Order: sequence, then C-alpha cells, then structure tokens
Amino acid sequence: MPTVQIKDEDRIGSEARIRLEPSTYLKKLFETGTPDLGWMNQHGEWGVRAKPGNLGLRLKDIEIGSYGVVPDRGGEHRSMAPRGAAIPDEVPSLGFSINDKAECWADNAAELYEEAVARQWSSARDIPWNELKPLPADLEHAMCQLCTFLTEVEFIAADGPTRWMSRMNQDFLEVKMFLATQAMDEARHTDVFRKRALANGGGLGKASPLAQLSLKRIFDSPSFSTQTARLHLLGEGFVLTMFRQGEFIAPSRVDQEIFRRCMQDESRHVGYGTMHLRAQLKARPDLAEEIHDQLDDAESILLQTFSVPELVEPMAILMGGGIEHFDKGMELQSQLWRRIVNEYLQRCDSAGLDRRPRCLLPADFARLFEA
Amino acid sequence: MASFPEPEWFLALGRLMEAEGELFRRIGYAETRFAIRVIADDSAKTEHTTGLEISGYQIVRALALDDVAAFDPDFVVCARRSTWQRMLDEIQRGGRPDLRHTLSSLALIGEELWLESSDQLREDKFYRFNQTLQELFNLAVKLR
Repeated sequence: MPTVQIKDEDRIGSEARIRLEPSTYLKKLFETGTPDLGWMNQHGEWGVRAKPGNLGLRLKDIEIGSYGVVPDRGGEHRSMAPRGAAIPDEVPSLGFSINDKAECWADNAAELYEEAVARQWSSARDIPWNELKPLPADLEHAMCQLCTFLTEVEFIAADGPTRWMSRMNQDFLEVKMFLATQAMDEARHTDVFRKRALANGGGLGKASPLAQLSLKRIFDSPSFSTQTARLHLLGEGFVLTMFRQGEFIAPSRVDQEIFRRCMQDESRHVGYGTMHLRAQLKARPDLAEEIHDQLDDAESILLQTFSVPELVEPMAILMGGGIEHFDKGMELQSQLWRRIVNEYLQRCDSAGLDRRPRCLLPADFARLFEA
Repeated sequence: MASFPEPEWFLALGRLMEAEGELFRRIGYAETRFAIRVIADDSAKTEHTTGLEISGYQIVRALALDDVAAFDPDFVVCARRSTWQRMLDEIQRGGRPDLRHTLSSLALIGEELWLESSDQLREDKFYRFNQTLQELFNLAVKLR
C-alpha cells in the first residue's frame, strides 16, 4: 500500500519538550484491535431525514423535532457544542454572556441568513466597471464625497454587532450566522464604495468627525439590543434610504448597479434589526425606555451629522444633476426627508416601539434650517 | 397575445425567467407575494390589479385580483397606466428603463409610482428583492 511521503519525517517532534502518553483507549485499541463504538449510543434525536424544498436544503428544512426548538435560555455549558448534540459534562465554557433568547433573537434570522447567502455578489465581477465614463467635475466630486462617507460608515455594521456576536450563546447560531453575513455585506460595501471613489478620475474626499462620533456611540452601546436600535433601526434604515437615493441619482449604470445591490443587502439588515427589537420588547417591555434614550442621542447626532456641507451638498448636487441645479436638488432632498422619517417611524411601529411622541427628527425638512 | 398587466403576460415573463435561469440564479432567489396596480391616467380609478408570487426563480402564481386584502401581498406597486407604459416602452428600446425610471427610482420619489403596504417590514421586501423584480420587468424586451 503506497504511503504519503512527508519531508524530513524523522525530525517531526524530535525537539518537542513534552511527550504525550497514549490514552487508555488508544492503548486498548492497539492491543485488541477492537473499536469502542460507545459514541454511537450518545447522540441527539436520531433517525432524522430532512427533506430539501424547491430551493435546496435550507435551515428551515432542518427545523425538525427537537432540532427545531430554540430554547428561551441558551445552554448553561456556555460552550460551542452544537444545539441538539449529546454534550458531555466536561465541555469548557467560553463565557457567553448573552444567554437569553430575547437578547438577540429575531424570527426571521434563519430566513435572512439563507437569503443573504443566496444573494451574495462580487464588486469585482458584478459591477460593469468598464462602462464608467468621465463625469462633469462637480458630479464626480459629489459622488466621491458620498462614497467617502459610505466607505467611512459602512463597516460599523460589521465591527459593532460582531463585538456582541462573540458573546452570544451558541444555541442562537442562526442569529450568529446571519450577523456573519451582515459583516460580509459590509465588507463588500466598504470595498465597492472605495473602488468607486478611485475608479473614475476622483479619489477619496473629506472624512467627518460627526459621522465618527455617531459610529463611536454605536460601537460603545451598552447592550446588543440598544446597539441594534441605533445601528439597524436608525442608522441602517437611514443608509438604506441613501442607497435608494443613490440608485435614483446614479449618473451611470455602474453607480446604479452599486447602489441597487447595496440597497438589497441593507434591507436584510434593517429587517433583522426590526424583528429583533420586536422580540426583545415583547419579552422585556421595560427596555423601551433604555432604547428611547439611545435613540434620543442617535437622532440628535444624526441631525448634527446632516448639518455640515460635506454631507448635505454632495447629495443635493447629485439629486439636482449638478451645482447649477443645487436648489432643485435641495428641493428633492426636502421631499425625501419626510419619507425617511416616516419609514423610520413605521419600522419603530413594526418593532413595537412608540417613537412618534419622542422623535427628534422633524418631518418637515425646512425645520432643519430654523434657528 | 396577452398584454400588461394581464396575469398571462406575467406568466409569459415567468417562462422567460426560467429560460434565463442563470441570470436569476446569480442574483439569488426571491420569495415574495406582491401586486401590480394600474391606475387610470384620467382618474384615481384602479383599472387592474394583478397578484404575483415569486418563489425561488419562478413566478408560481399570477392572477387578477378583485380583493387585494385577501391576497395579502407584501406590497402593492401602484402607478398610472402611462407610467407603466413608459417603463415598458423604454425597456423595449434599451433592454432596461432609463436611469431614473427604474422601479426603485420611481418608488423613491413616490409621485409617479408608489408602494402600499400594511407593514414596513413587508414593504422592505420590495428593496430586498429589487434586482430580481427589475430584471423580471426587463425581460419584457423579449415578449412579442
């Protein structure tokens, strides 16, 4: 029988400082040649035959019997042993601190995970970069500044939740897997807007201290759910509208493709956040006040963020179609502002958070200019 | 030959969708139930409402709707006949609508085309599956 050749095989482990004694089991196996096979009697529910649906074998197809039960409280062993497996007593704890389902769960997490995996795209392959054409200087400047802002803010939706992801009990794996797709989405958004800024004769523009402050507050949120309110409900909801605007203002099919694809990704993130808050507020209505406090601060920073020229003017120039139509662009912005606020509040409604009496964002764009 | 927005017209698009399987597989599957409403140009009267269901890479249902609520769509895409016609004419000419006349762009401004939904979360499926929806409409270029 041919053997695998390994270079310098006789030197492997020759300088190792410790020597491992073979286990009792291995010694017995060596001596008797009889396998133990005890593990065959230690397992979760047995005889399971998950059936693929019309789109293959999805997570919802393996929610069968005990495997379909997500506990309200994650396993006390706090290890990464899979939900539903036979779990020995001696598994070491990883110290997960998010152990109540309501702290992270959303009923659409598995659905959104599968959807995200199916709808991944590549900024290198799927954007028709070769169709980029030179733009008038004002439009290119505005597009590059917008891309700078988006490159600056997008990755917080990876860095922020993954801080908490590593603290989530492994029994809530569907949520962790969804958040992993969100991190991948944000990597792609960061990459595609950076590429766009560098691809058509412009470059990166000016970073924003206020945007950075907003990101810092998201990063420093005291809990996953309050971070979700700041990030998914307000921040990503707002960026979702910017992506929709981006598709509208796109001066070329290249830009349109970029914004449309990002828009699809962002909608999934907003969908998760809304459903998570719905689950959390249903389980812990008392948390509403804490979430309101976070949104008070987040809305205030958002208003300040969109009170500086490098964030207001690029969008107006793009909306109007050039500096000469700046007024028209601001007018369009004004029309859209009402929609942004309305959709945000409707998502709050959907999450079960009555934000309307407390919302700091005026429905009327003109009020942003009032002293 | 069926015409927009008759269910048979959408079912013909659905057959093209299956024939163009690679394009839609690359975009990824979609799962949504929605409706297309055509409003008369000279009044607020609804001329037609067609219910559609996409499952994966197929249109699995297309039917004329009298009772939209009973169909329980995620969202209803509403526009006057002339707006729909302009989109279809542009698709016939260039394979896709002009930049500012895509489904998403028109819905953003919300004057010529708008969405109706009982729940923002369900309305957001219009955005989650937008590429699929637009490519589906773009297949109208292949309808004779």
